[in-house]
Amino acid sequence: MAYHPRENWSPQHRKRVYTRRDFLQRAALLGIALPALPSLLAACAEREGEGGVELAIGTPSSPVQQPLFDDNQAIESGLPQEDGPLQIYNWADYINPEMIPVIEEGIGASVEITTFFNEEEAIQKLSSGEVQYDVWFPTSQVVPKSVAGKLIQPLNLEYVPNLEQYVWPSMANPYYDQGSRYTVPYVLYSTGIAWRIDQVDSADIEGQPNAYEVFWNDEYAGITGLYDSYTDAMAMALFRNGIANPAAASEEEVTAAADSLIELVDLMNIRYTIDGAYVQIPEGRMGLHQAWSGDIINSQYYFPEGADISVIRYAWPATIEGTTVNGAISSDTMAVPFGAQRPVLAHKFLDFMLEESNALLNFEWLGYQPPQKGIDADLLVADGWVPDFLAPGIVREEDFTLDTSWVQGQLDLATETLWATQWNRVKSGG
Amino acid sequence: MPTNLQAGESDAVGQRRWVWPGFALPGVVWLLLLFVVPFYAIFAVAMGHTDPIFNRPVPEWNPIYWDTSSFSRVLHDLFGGQLGTIAVRTIVYVAIASLICLIIGYPVAYFVSRRSGRHRGLWLLLILAPFWINYLMRMMAWINLLSPGAQVDQVFFFLGLDPPAWLAGHPFVVILGLVYGYIPFLILPLFGALDRIDESTLEASRDLGASPARTFWRVTLPLSKQGILAGLVIIMLPMFGDYYTPNLLSGSPRTVMLGNTIDQFINQTTSQGGVGAALTIILMMFVAVLMAYYLVTINRATKEARE
Repeated sequence: MAYHPRENWSPQHRKRVYTRRDFLQRAALLGIALPALPSLLAACAEREGEGGVELAIGTPSSPVQQPLFDDNQAIESGLPQEDGPLQIYNWADYINPEMIPVIEEGIGASVEITTFFNEEEAIQKLSSGEVQYDVWFPTSQVVPKSVAGKLIQPLNLEYVPNLEQYVWPSMANPYYDQGSRYTVPYVLYSTGIAWRIDQVDSADIEGQPNAYEVFWNDEYAGITGLYDSYTDAMAMALFRNGIANPAAASEEEVTAAADSLIELVDLMNIRYTIDGAYVQIPEGRMGLHQAWSGDIINSQYYFPEGADISVIRYAWPATIEGTTVNGAISSDTMAVPFGAQRPVLAHKFLDFMLEESNALLNFEWLGYQPPQKGIDADLLVADGWVPDFLAPGIVREEDFTLDTSWVQGQLDLATETLWATQWNRVKSGG
Repeated sequence: MPTNLQAGESDAVGQRRWVWPGFALPGVVWLLLLFVVPFYAIFAVAMGHTDPIFNRPVPEWNPIYWDTSSFSRVLHDLFGGQLGTIAVRTIVYVAIASLICLIIGYPVAYFVSRRSGRHRGLWLLLILAPFWINYLMRMMAWINLLSPGAQVDQVFFFLGLDPPAWLAGHPFVVILGLVYGYIPFLILPLFGALDRIDESTLEASRDLGASPARTFWRVTLPLSKQGILAGLVIIMLPMFGDYYTPNLLSGSPRTVMLGNTIDQFINQTTSQGGVGAALTIILMMFVAVLMAYYLVTINRATKEARE
C-alpha cells in the first residue's frame, strides 16, 4: 500500500489515517448494504399473517352493542370500595381543577390525574401495559378498538345509577355502545367554524349553502387555520367537496379532499394548529379557524384583559339554513381500563361525574357540555352560561339525528390508513 | 519459590491489563443502554408491522421477519416525492440559519475572547443566560412578541414601517427562530477556540509585516477553524431534528421540516409510525455523515498540528 509522505507510517503509528475519500467510500457502501440486508433476510421468512379484526362501529341509524369477552368481565355487584388514590388518565385541562376537592369528598378517596398529549399516546401506553389507571377518558371514536383490544373493562351499571337518572336517554344508551356496556358519556361537541367579525364577514359563512367554502376564500389568506388533527381536517374537506358521509368516501374522494387541502397552502397560507380556535382567535392571531364547539365556548376566557369578547362567532354548518353540506358531531366518554386496581372506586367516580350539579360545575370551567337531561339548551344562554353570540356552540340532543349531521365515529382500519397517508401528503404541502 | 512469584507477576500484569480498559466500562454500558438498544428499537419499529386492532406500529425484533416496505417508501418519496422537497427545505433552512449564526456568532465570540477585557465573565454570562430558560418558553415568548400589534410591530410602527404578519407561516421567521434558539451553542465552542489561540502567533504575524486584516485571514481564522466546525456541528445536529420551532412560529405546511414529518408520522397518524421510524434512521444516517466528516477533519487537523 502506498503512503503519502505526510502520513504517519512508522511502525509505532501503523494505524491508517482515515482520509476523506475512505470515509465517503465506506459511507456509500454502508448506505447501499444496510437497506439491502433486511430484504435478503425477509426473503428467508415471512411472519404468519395476522388477519384483520372486526370492530363494532355504530352510528345513530345503526347502533351497535360492543362484544363481551370471557376473559374481560365486569366487576361483581356489592363489592366494598377500595382505598384511594383513584388514578385518572385524562387529556390535559379536561376536568375542572376546582372539582378535585369536590370529587375527593364525594367519592371518599383522593384523586391523582395523569394527562396524555393525544389519544394515540394514551392507547399506546395502555395497550403496552406500561401504565395502570382506574379511569380513562376515551373519545367515542376509539371505543370499538378499545373494546376489541381489551383496553377497557365492561361496566357494572348497578354502581352507576346516575347514568339513567341524569343523562339524555340517547346517550345513556349510545349508538356506539348500546347498553353502555363499556363506557358512560362525558361531554359532547360539534365541529364547526369560528371567526372574528372584525376580520371576517359573517355573510361569507352564515346563510351560505356550503359554509366551508370560506376556508377557500382568499380574502382571508394569512388569518385562517384548521385543526392539526387529520380526522377533523380531512372530514371538513370531504364535506366541502359535497361528501355527506366522510367515513364511506372512496379513495378518489379522499385523495381529492387532500388535494383541496393542499390548495389551501398557497391560496390561504393555511396553518394547522391545536390552539387556533380558543387561544389564537381571542388573541387576534387568527381570524378564521375550524373549531370544536367546546373550544369556542371556552374561548371567552382567553381574550386579553379588556378585549371585546363579542367579536367571536361560531357556526356549525349542519344547522345553517339552506345548507347543502354536513357537519361533524361527536362525544367523549369515561371508561375503566382493563386491569384497573380500584374498579369499584372508578365506578363511583363515573357515577359522581354524571350527577347533575357535578356535571354542571365541571362544564362551567370546561366549556364542553355534558349530555345532561337537566341542562336546557335555551337556559344555558338565558342563565349566562353561554353568551348569546356563541349559542350555536350549544349541542342539542336532536343534533345527533339531524339529516345534516355526521356523527363522527371510528373509521375502519383501511380507511384510517388511507386518510393518514393522504393527510401526510397534505401536511407536507403537496 | 520461583513459580509462585511468576504466577503473582502474571496476575499483576493481568490486573493491569484490565484496569485501563475497565475505565471504558461505564461509557460502554451507557452507549449500550442509551444508544444501541434505543437505536435497535427504532430500527425494529421501522422494520415492523402494523397492529391489526390499533393500527399502530409494532416493532419486529427478529431480523428474520423484517419488512423493508417502510424504508422503500421513504427512499422512494425522498427521491422524487414530497419528502425530497422537505429534505431540501430542511437542508436549506439549516444551512441559512447556520450561516447567519456564524456571521453573528463569530464577531461576538471574537469580541468576548479578545476584546472584552475584564468584563469577559459578564459577557459570557450574558451569552449563557438564555440557556437558563427552556427553549420552548423562549419560543413562546417570541410568539407573544411577534403577535399582531405586539412589541415587535410597535417598533415597526414607530419607525414608520409596515410590519409583516410574522406568524403567518413565513420561512424567514422559522429561520430566525432557529438562529435565535441555537446561536449560543455556536458561540461557546467558537469562544473556546479563539481563546486558545496563542497571542504570540498573532504578534509574530504582525512583526512579520502582516496587516491586522491579513493576520485575521491568515492566522486567526485558520486557527479557529476547528471551533467553527465544532460550533456548526453542535447547532446543525439538533436543527435537523427540530420540529417545534416551525410548529410554534409557523404551523404552515410551507415551512414543514423533516422533524415535523417524523413527528407527524409517529404522533399523529400512528398507522404510519413505521415510516416515521424509517425516516428517523435515514435522517440519522445523514447527520452521522456530517458528524463523521467533522471527526475526520478534526482528526487530520490534530495530526497535522502534531507534526
